[in-house]
Amino acid sequence: MPTPKTTELARHRKERMWMWLQLLPVLAVLTVLFGGALVLAVMQSLGFAPWFGVNTFPDFSYFAALWGGGFFWKSLGLTLYYATISTLIALVLGTFLALALVRHFPSKSLYKYLYKLPLMIPYTVGIALAVIMLGNGGMLSRIFAFVGLIGDPSEFPQILKTHYGWGVIAVYVWKQTPFVTLTLYAVLLGVGRETEEAATILGANKMQVFFQVTLPQILPGIVSSTLIIFAFNIGAFEAPFILGGGFPDTLPVVAWRYFNDADYTLQLQGMATVVSITLIASGILYSYLALYRRYERRIGRN
Amino acid sequence: MTKVQLKGVRKEFGKFVAISEIDLDINSGELVALLGPSGCGKTTTLRMIAGLEVPSFGQILFDDQDVSEVPVQDRNVGMVFQRYALFPHMTVEKNVMFGLKVRGTPTEEIKHRLEEILDVVQLQQFRHRFPAQLSGGQMQRVAIARTLITNPSVLMMDEPLANLDTKLRGEMRRFIRDLQQRLNITTIFVTHDQVEAMELADRVAVIFNGKLAQYDAPDALYQRPNSIEIADFMGADNIYEAQISAGRAKTAFGELQLDQLSNPVRDGVGHVLLRAEAVDLLLEADAASENVIPGKVTGREFFGATVNYTVECNGETVTVNEQSRRMVDVGQDVWLSIQPHRIWVIQDTA
Ligand SMILES: Nc1ncnc2c1ncn2[C@@H]1O[C@H](COP(=O)(O)OP(=O)(O)OP(=O)(O)O)[C@@H](O)[C@H]1O
Ligand SMILES: [Mg+2]
Repeated sequence: MPTPKTTELARHRKERMWMWLQLLPVLAVLTVLFGGALVLAVMQSLGFAPWFGVNTFPDFSYFAALWGGGFFWKSLGLTLYYATISTLIALVLGTFLALALVRHFPSKSLYKYLYKLPLMIPYTVGIALAVIMLGNGGMLSRIFAFVGLIGDPSEFPQILKTHYGWGVIAVYVWKQTPFVTLTLYAVLLGVGRETEEAATILGANKMQVFFQVTLPQILPGIVSSTLIIFAFNIGAFEAPFILGGGFPDTLPVVAWRYFNDADYTLQLQGMATVVSITLIASGILYSYLALYRRYERRIGRN
Repeated sequence: MTKVQLKGVRKEFGKFVAISEIDLDINSGELVALLGPSGCGKTTTLRMIAGLEVPSFGQILFDDQDVSEVPVQDRNVGMVFQRYALFPHMTVEKNVMFGLKVRGTPTEEIKHRLEEILDVVQLQQFRHRFPAQLSGGQMQRVAIARTLITNPSVLMMDEPLANLDTKLRGEMRRFIRDLQQRLNITTIFVTHDQVEAMELADRVAVIFNGKLAQYDAPDALYQRPNSIEIADFMGADNIYEAQISAGRAKTAFGELQLDQLSNPVRDGVGHVLLRAEAVDLLLEADAASENVIPGKVTGREFFGATVNYTVECNGETVTVNEQSRRMVDVGQDVWLSIQPHRIWVIQDTA
């Protein structure tokens, strides 16, 4: 006689198979679109490009050439520097804005629309704005000259096209602060004000309330939003291309220069660059997530 | 040990008036219940005392000092929220220690007081759990422990027992009462359950629509409500229109002799309130009894220890409650009797 346990198991097996069946279309699309592209990129970077008459697969010389050249590491440093600094600034500004938005203040509804504006304006427009505002001969320099802080607009300190990358960072921050704000605002609404009020009544000051009560509760939102903007910043191309300081460029710009070269065999070198970016970015993002998971487990969330 | 006073306090949210005017004196060490229907402004009143909400008008005094300028974290009040508001990312232990930690209490003392309070609320075995892993009653006790450990001078509890089952409610009621008496903290608790208010409180403040309707000891509120609404809210069954003249009340079912000493009345219209348990049910007309009214039993509800009879008297229904030592059958002719000093007359003060 079959025990009830066996039938239960059989049902579970059926349910699991049904689940896989339902997932199949999605998995197929994911595999072809992302997996396929990734495999192709890796193959090319290892010397497989018969359509250019090149096929030396597997050939690590493109990576060797890239990683052996000193400029690669400088480029990597620049890429990470722009990405990290702008992510951090956007995070701090976005958190402040989100915290402000859950409180009551006059004309709040106007601000709630205003701050989302950059989200709807394309990056290229942002870059153009940066050029108009921050360049030598731009608005800011003219205003400075006009009020007599500097003698001539050309004396204005160089903001764009330096390796400090203030222009690049400004554009990223301008575009991504609203994104962080939007994410954290939604999380804060879900968390509510009550735990903050309880903490205040228990005697906590503003800093203690933020760091010990609010921050841990909005951390999932912070992690996901910074993850997304950091990943974007590592791979972004237009802003550092137009507003960056020239050689050494950030890695995506390096890759683009290879792809754009008259010597089309350099495309393989470009692919090696792209694959390197992917490896580094996924390594960083994975470690970030793993760190966060460890923290979550430590505070008992599963 | 703090005396709390509200003087002409009013609270508006934009155009909406949540509290129109409240005057309330709470003595040091007293346990006061704020009682009223949903939305009458109980939570708002507590929040103003805590400092989370600023009154639009009026003053709040702690020990005769205006606290308007005192920030929330310096008022040394405690509040148990309607929905607990535990910190979800902290264990029971961390939740409870929070108040002492942020005040910079020495670690040794925190540890000592933590053990003490965990014993009091019987949460030792749950100390490493997170709020999401607790039952409603356990969360409740964490919220109370978290507040009590800071030794607040005024303790506020917003419907602390609303989410508990009947048995646990009883236990927690006794627990709160004992604790309050032992620590002698001025306590204000909110409820919309009149039985709970009467059982726990020294005095009960009934709030209707953002106004203080009556503020009295539980028995006064129960026996001598100053309006029909309050009588109704306190669960009175027998309220009848009456014409009052010369110390007698004329009602649809007969004339009642009143006791002018315990309840001075004016001539004119009014309402008489007969508490169901104050009415005696007689099986034969008894000339010695006062205020005898003939009637017929039309319904019976059995509650175990007590029994409720519905008695039809000249078109009016009177509910009578008595101990279930005997059973009177439906359809039986009976006589009701009520002593003059047990009759309460409600008249408009105008
Ligand atoms: N922040 C606010 N803004 C606008 N109206 C509010 C606000 N807080 C409370 N109110 C309103 O004030 C009134 C009183 O609210 P309050 O929370 O004090 O009621 P309550 O007596 O605690 O009710 P309950 O028993 O349901 O908890 C309600 O009508 C409520 O809608
Ligand atoms: Mg309430």
